[in-house]
Amino acid sequence: MALFQFVLRAGAGIAATLFIICGGMLTYEVIARYFFTRPTIWAAELSQLCLIWGCMLAMPWILAAGRHIQVDAVARLLPPATQRWLHVFVMVVIAVFSAVVVWYGFQIFYDSFERGRTTGSMLDIPIWISELSIPVGFLLLMLQALIDMVGKLRGPVAAESAP
Amino acid sequence: MTVVIILASLFTLLLARVPVALALGTMGLGMLVIGGFSPLMAPQAILSTLDGFILLAVPLFLLMSNVLLKAGVGADLFNAVNAWVGHWPGGLAVATILSCGVFAAISGSSVATAATIGTVAIPEMINRGYDKRFVYGLLAAGGTLGILIPPSIPMIVYGFITEESVIALFLAGIGPGLALVFFFVVFSMLHARFFQPGATGKKTPRADRWKLTFRAFPSLLLALLIIGGIYSGAFTPTEAAAVGFAAALVIVVVFLRTLSFADFRAAAFEAMVTTVAILLIVAGAKIFGKAIALYRIPQDISMFIGDHIHTPLAFILVVSLVLLLMGLVFEALSMVLIMTPVLLPAAMSLGFDPIWFGIYMVIMVECALITPPVGLNLYVIQSVASASLSDVSRGVWPFLMLMVLTVILLYLWTDLALYIPFKL
Repeated sequence: MALFQFVLRAGAGIAATLFIICGGMLTYEVIARYFFTRPTIWAAELSQLCLIWGCMLAMPWILAAGRHIQVDAVARLLPPATQRWLHVFVMVVIAVFSAVVVWYGFQIFYDSFERGRTTGSMLDIPIWISELSIPVGFLLLMLQALIDMVGKLRGPVAAESAP
Repeated sequence: MTVVIILASLFTLLLARVPVALALGTMGLGMLVIGGFSPLMAPQAILSTLDGFILLAVPLFLLMSNVLLKAGVGADLFNAVNAWVGHWPGGLAVATILSCGVFAAISGSSVATAATIGTVAIPEMINRGYDKRFVYGLLAAGGTLGILIPPSIPMIVYGFITEESVIALFLAGIGPGLALVFFFVVFSMLHARFFQPGATGKKTPRADRWKLTFRAFPSLLLALLIIGGIYSGAFTPTEAAAVGFAAALVIVVVFLRTLSFADFRAAAFEAMVTTVAILLIVAGAKIFGKAIALYRIPQDISMFIGDHIHTPLAFILVVSLVLLLMGLVFEALSMVLIMTPVLLPAAMSLGFDPIWFGIYMVIMVECALITPPVGLNLYVIQSVASASLSDVSRGVWPFLMLMVLTVILLYLWTDLALYIPFKL
């Protein structure tokens, strides 16, 4: 379990790094275009790749850390026992949604992978590279939701110990 | 009837504390399955959202403003502005608003603006004997300028979901942004004149003025670079964000030397968390938007509105009331994402310009940001000032009135927003 939390944390760190790299690549693109009049063919496309992978890799950690945006105002007023069941319900919803997205997301990836589809841009990289991020991210999200749910069912404190 | 069931289920999920992104996604997916549409659309919607070049501006603008925040640029900016207007009645308050306005031209987020200027301005104003509720309200409201004066993350998101030009939205935000700054400044001066007679500072000597301005000069230049670059078409909003982030790094690392590596890491990590939280909501809203479009719900609502509401004025009054009520409990951006696809078709059939409607939505979001019990800016000021939420909430209402006044002005005189992008 500690290993899984480490993986999630690493995902968040990689995401932060990928976003910084986007900034670097796109700044270089502007400089290359205006000062060397040689725009790149890779900056925009690779930045988009960094964005999607960054979001998908950070998503599970953000759930574990409780940093997703949610509407607390009403649920906060409920008694603790009800809140606990509500929390279990929320994790079930997330796990089911993630499972469906993993299933269909994988089909999209696999289809592109098998047919060897590419982005059709100047860089022309295989399109599955970005599509793979969806099943990977949501698989980790599903596992985290299940872990969180089991922790909440076993004891009221366990779920709060996520990093 | 379907509309009622759908909205009721969505609100149940949201109020049960399902993260907004996943609640929207789950609703959308559920509707696709029940309606016999392919669930493949759900991952496709996520892919097409996160693959968007325009949304790349979100992490980059956040990186830039977080770096500036951690480097303490707020203090330089505030001191420079204060040197020029500090001797006016309510000078510190005026300086606070103007600093918020300038920082808003660098940052696309109201939280970053409130935090950056608030950290400096709140202690200064309290020391000078300003009423603390007025101070908290001023900062919470001043921070919201961050999303009205371009760049603006909610405008990027609105532009993305409605496929309207983000540049036009940015330009349309300038007029109402300046109007709001003007109202806040006038209110601060009147407040000082009638309630805080002692709140006028000394005039700063000319030499010091320039010295302080010089220190803040890089930030002013940055604001100019971003707005000028976007306006002249030299770069896209996304590129402006990237260049702004790089320039901000150069400023704080080379010139000001106030950013440690640990600060940088913290800034980058926070920017990442906010980005992912926001973009996932956009992705969830895309799934939901797709599903409601397939169920033809926006058309139904348009028809319903067409049958019952005949004038644009009545429409705006009803919508404003709904948005203000939603804003009490909803996080601001989620509100834009849920309501825009539902309302925009009806608004357009009544003759509203989609860019104008975007600016209107952003001002309504600003109201949502400062209305208790849930208003992000209230929490920011509460934590920056270690104040009680009730003090902050009570300080906010005169500023809320001024925002409503701006909405009325914007309604009566649409050119306030539309002149700069379309007629200049």
